[in-house]
Amino acid sequence: MNEANPYVIQTHGLSKTYKNIHALGSLDLNVHQNSIFGFLGPNGAGKTTTIKLMLGLTRPTAGTATIFGMDSVTNSVDIRARIGYLPQEPHFYEYMTARQTLRFTAEFFFKGPKKAIDERVEEMLGLVDLSDKADRSIKTFSGGERQRLGIAQAQVNYPDLLILDEPAASLDPLGRRDVLEVMSKLRKYATIFYSTHILDDVQRVSDTVVILNKGELVAQGPIEELLAGSEGVIYIIHLKGDIESALKQVQSLSWVSGVKTSQNNDESIWQVSVTDPEAAETQLLKLLVNGPVVVNEFRRKQYELEDVFMQVIEGGQDVRK
Amino acid sequence: MSGNEAFELVSERGWSRGLNTMLRSGLARWFKTRMWWVQCLIWGSLVGSILATIAFNPQPPPPADLYMIFMVFVGLFPAVGVVIIMQDALVGEKREGTAAWVLSKPLTRPAFVLSKVFANSLGILVTMVIVPFILGVAIITIVTKSTLNPLGYLEAIGVIFISDFFFLALTLMLGTFFDSRGPVIGIPLGILFMQQNLIGFLPALRYVLPWTLVVPIGNTDPLAISFLLKTPLPQDQLITLAAIVIESILFVSIGLWRFNREEF
Repeated sequence: MNEANPYVIQTHGLSKTYKNIHALGSLDLNVHQNSIFGFLGPNGAGKTTTIKLMLGLTRPTAGTATIFGMDSVTNSVDIRARIGYLPQEPHFYEYMTARQTLRFTAEFFFKGPKKAIDERVEEMLGLVDLSDKADRSIKTFSGGERQRLGIAQAQVNYPDLLILDEPAASLDPLGRRDVLEVMSKLRKYATIFYSTHILDDVQRVSDTVVILNKGELVAQGPIEELLAGSEGVIYIIHLKGDIESALKQVQSLSWVSGVKTSQNNDESIWQVSVTDPEAAETQLLKLLVNGPVVVNEFRRKQYELEDVFMQVIEGGQDVRK
Repeated sequence: MSGNEAFELVSERGWSRGLNTMLRSGLARWFKTRMWWVQCLIWGSLVGSILATIAFNPQPPPPADLYMIFMVFVGLFPAVGVVIIMQDALVGEKREGTAAWVLSKPLTRPAFVLSKVFANSLGILVTMVIVPFILGVAIITIVTKSTLNPLGYLEAIGVIFISDFFFLALTLMLGTFFDSRGPVIGIPLGILFMQQNLIGFLPALRYVLPWTLVVPIGNTDPLAISFLLKTPLPQDQLITLAAIVIESILFVSIGLWRFNREEF
């Protein structure tokens, strides 16, 4: 990666087939430096396969993945020296304690000094609230504790890129909140690429989102763009009064591509699709307010990520940006 | 990486990257957990108790027979333990997901495999060869009031270890090909216990199986006994020794090649 290439991760036609199973098909991704990149998809969509390809744990059937400008197959070890990774189901050596696990992980990156490594280990234990369990065997850890240890070991080396596979999967709501906070704090120092099923989390912290389905990329873009919806920009207007003449006026505007109307008691509800959001923002409300109607509500339609997700997964709709 | 200025970064490059860390962890597993004394206890008490029962009998067998019995127990049975331990080193780690986890760190695949070879070799040498060997020889020398040549002592330990290493390397190699424990345990144990029959069926196999290194065949002493007692070395068994070393290196090499192609 250099100044000319602001992307930490780039994949071109990345594909993986296991025997006859098509796990991932021709994935093109660009992950910007210091972004929090949400990687979404139902089970079996190819999320973990993509992560394993990026880490060099498995080889692509076709295409390439470039991390920090290095090829994931030929420079896998150099790439991993700058990455922190949390697997979907973290497994550690059961004969070690949490502290030993973090020290063991740190020693893949740092030779010393011992004091600095020990301090970093303590810091990470504190970060995930495992200080009081630091010297307990991992054998006795619950799923949530293992997950927290996984988050700690992924960060112990100050990674430039943090890859988290379902980081909040086994955590309670407080644990989830803490993970999201940590991710937000780390954005300044690192790029975060994470897969999840929890759409609410993605909407809270991500700036860019990709949705995979059946090994294919079906949506990619800044979260605001995805949340704006694939139907284009729509304004929702609740109004009363001389609806007919106002409707004719609105429909005659060159940047209005359609109006859907419905009735709720004595109120009309319009969904106005526009081709020029700027013109709509400045002129539409003014036009209506100056006309023969009373405007009770005027807002731009916002989608929840869940709506977008369901739309692209169930509808098979492609909303690639 | 921001924030890591306070640290001295690991400088290993190339195929050995991560080897030191894995080796330290592997040795810690052997010698900083109860594993070392459990193994010492198992093999020491097995060899010691059986040999003591025979040797301290009011009518003990002649020293030569005692040595033969000793060699069968110290040379053959610990190989079962070697197979059990080594199947866990690769198949266990692949199945439990720890191999994928450590390989997500800056660790090369050859370093991962070789750390298993080195750490387990040392653990096995100390707990399953040297400790029961010293115990067994001590019992025999007390009973027979004989003294042994220290060089022969070391050479015999070396031969026993080479025999065990054959099973270590074979199990490791199989662990890179299979994901289930059955064949990885079954094939080496099958070879271990069928060696005599296989050699009986096809005598040339005595050159490629480690049987004659630790178990007498016909009237010929096993090579380890010849070294220990400083009797003339049977030339055939020296060929076997060389073949076993070459085969073991080959098994490790094939394991390295295969593990490089492994997908997680």
